[in-house]
Amino acid sequence: MAKLIVTTRNGETRTLEAPTGLSVMEVIRDAGIGDILALCGGACSCATCHVHVAPEFAGVLAPLSEDEHGLLESSTHRDAYSRLSCQIRMNDGLSGLRVTIAAEE
Amino acid sequence: MQPLEDRDYFTDYEILKDPYSYFEAIRAKGPVYQIPGRDYLMVTGFEEILQVLQNVEDFSAAIGVQGAAAPLPFKPEGSDITAQVEKHRLEFLGGDLLVNYDGQHHTFVRSLLAPLFTPSRLKANEQYINEVADRFVRDVVARGECELIKEVSTPFVTLVVADLLGVPPEDRQLFMDTIEAAPPPGSLESADNDYSSADHPLVVMGGYFARYVQDRRANPRQDVLSDLANAKFPDGSIPDAGEIVRLATFLFGAGQDTSAKLLGNSMRFIVDQPGLQEQLRKSPVLIPQLLEEVLRLEGSTKQTARLARRDTRIGDLKVPAGTKVMLALAAGNRDPRRWENPQEFVLNRAKIKEHIAFGRGKHVCAGAPLARVEVRIILEKFLQHTANIDLDASQHGARGARTLDYEPSFIIRGLAKLNLKLSPAPGFVHDVRPSAPKPQRPAVAAAETVHSYSTAATKIRDLLANPAAKALLDQHLPGVSSDSRISMAKGMTLRAVQAFAPKQFTNEVLDALDADLAKLPPPAH
Repeated sequence: MAKLIVTTRNGETRTLEAPTGLSVMEVIRDAGIGDILALCGGACSCATCHVHVAPEFAGVLAPLSEDEHGLLESSTHRDAYSRLSCQIRMNDGLSGLRVTIAAEE
Repeated sequence: MQPLEDRDYFTDYEILKDPYSYFEAIRAKGPVYQIPGRDYLMVTGFEEILQVLQNVEDFSAAIGVQGAAAPLPFKPEGSDITAQVEKHRLEFLGGDLLVNYDGQHHTFVRSLLAPLFTPSRLKANEQYINEVADRFVRDVVARGECELIKEVSTPFVTLVVADLLGVPPEDRQLFMDTIEAAPPPGSLESADNDYSSADHPLVVMGGYFARYVQDRRANPRQDVLSDLANAKFPDGSIPDAGEIVRLATFLFGAGQDTSAKLLGNSMRFIVDQPGLQEQLRKSPVLIPQLLEEVLRLEGSTKQTARLARRDTRIGDLKVPAGTKVMLALAAGNRDPRRWENPQEFVLNRAKIKEHIAFGRGKHVCAGAPLARVEVRIILEKFLQHTANIDLDASQHGARGARTLDYEPSFIIRGLAKLNLKLSPAPGFVHDVRPSAPKPQRPAVAAAETVHSYSTAATKIRDLLANPAAKALLDQHLPGVSSDSRISMAKGMTLRAVQAFAPKQFTNEVLDALDADLAKLPPPAH
């Protein structure tokens, strides 16, 4: 199974099992990591699942939709590697993906 | 008198009127409390509720629909009852509905919903929502009064969900009629909570969605139903058609009642908070803030439930596998450890969107973005088209001493009715609808609309309303006019019903009925 490596807000890094088809948000949330509020539950509507993707993976991911882009615009912590984690679906090709949960708004 | 905390949340009509005082009495016992003489815990603490909602390994949602008070379909054994829950899953009330699912199956089914509620998708629906809202509001403002819940809220939100899901316009009236006739989810009368009868709205609407899904799988088109019917799970596998039917149907059950009630609850605050409606009329941009504070103080869902499937903890309390837990969302939203002056209405609270009126985590309300859009839009219309909104004092008493009836449900917090008095805004015009133009050539228009009663063109409701037509119906189809399933289908024609019961409604019978109906004087217009 693919692995997802997550750095939480307190700097702890954890490696999680990431079944194909689940979003990065779902993998993090179901691991009980509370840093991600994911208030809208994955409908790309709230920007509370913001993560920074390790630069070497940024080019591998599907491009941002307009919705995702628009929501990230509202974040003060947006950078070139910002993504909404509900919009990244895991697959074996993404095994080893590293993400850092963005600072609280 | 019996102390509040000793009363039974699940059946008590006094608690129904004011659940908040009851929750405070429970909170005084601690954020997690074992209800004496009962077999469930009640959680009123904000953090403790989040802890349970987020701990999806130890807590199952299988009792989401039936609630914490109903008995389990098995006797829990040991420190991990996961296998027992799975074995008996379909014996739980609503066991085949998304809201009760756990684990990856839940995540996969849920993923089918997400595309329906994205910002761009809702934006595309906003024009329709605007038109429908405007029509409803102008109609009742022109009358100067309305009963908000049945006349506006429920049909409005039903039309909006129907449009979102792509239900064909000609079927929407039936959906509205079916929902209007339904008991609330989580009825205090537990006999109502039976989803197996042929005339339960979920069953009636399920028949429709089964047809839609079948049709769109065979002949995909460019529409929402085709997208939904042909959606794949995230791993590329294809969902069972029944799964999609239950999902779509459940959106009506779950989505429409809570949204309809949110409009009612919001309206009550708008009318009874001094100065609020003037403030909102001046600055409609504050409406979203109003909605969040109403959701916190009086959200449409009072509680949800989880079942501990492994030995676990909530806070410091040991919770053995098999323990049923009621999560009092409405109480968490007034937890003084989380909210300053929790009982007070305050616009613009910091981090207000973190309230748990929509739940949190894996099962957080999927339709929340839609609820926020549709209720905001119709409130904008109400404020725009009125100079003043008040409750009808002859129905609800004067401000400060209101009499209000709530839906008899342990899940839903919502007014059963809300009678409003509406003073039109200066310059208000009733009919600007492009959809209902004044006839340009009245003589021709009248000639076109005159046709006699028939099984193909006349809705059952209209047949039943005419004594002569009803007599003919009783003659040709004995017992049908009093059949409860027909009352669910009163927005349909008999020929449309024929598809569901071809043996009862044969062509011969309907043709004979048509021959007699044609002899009646045509309906008045």
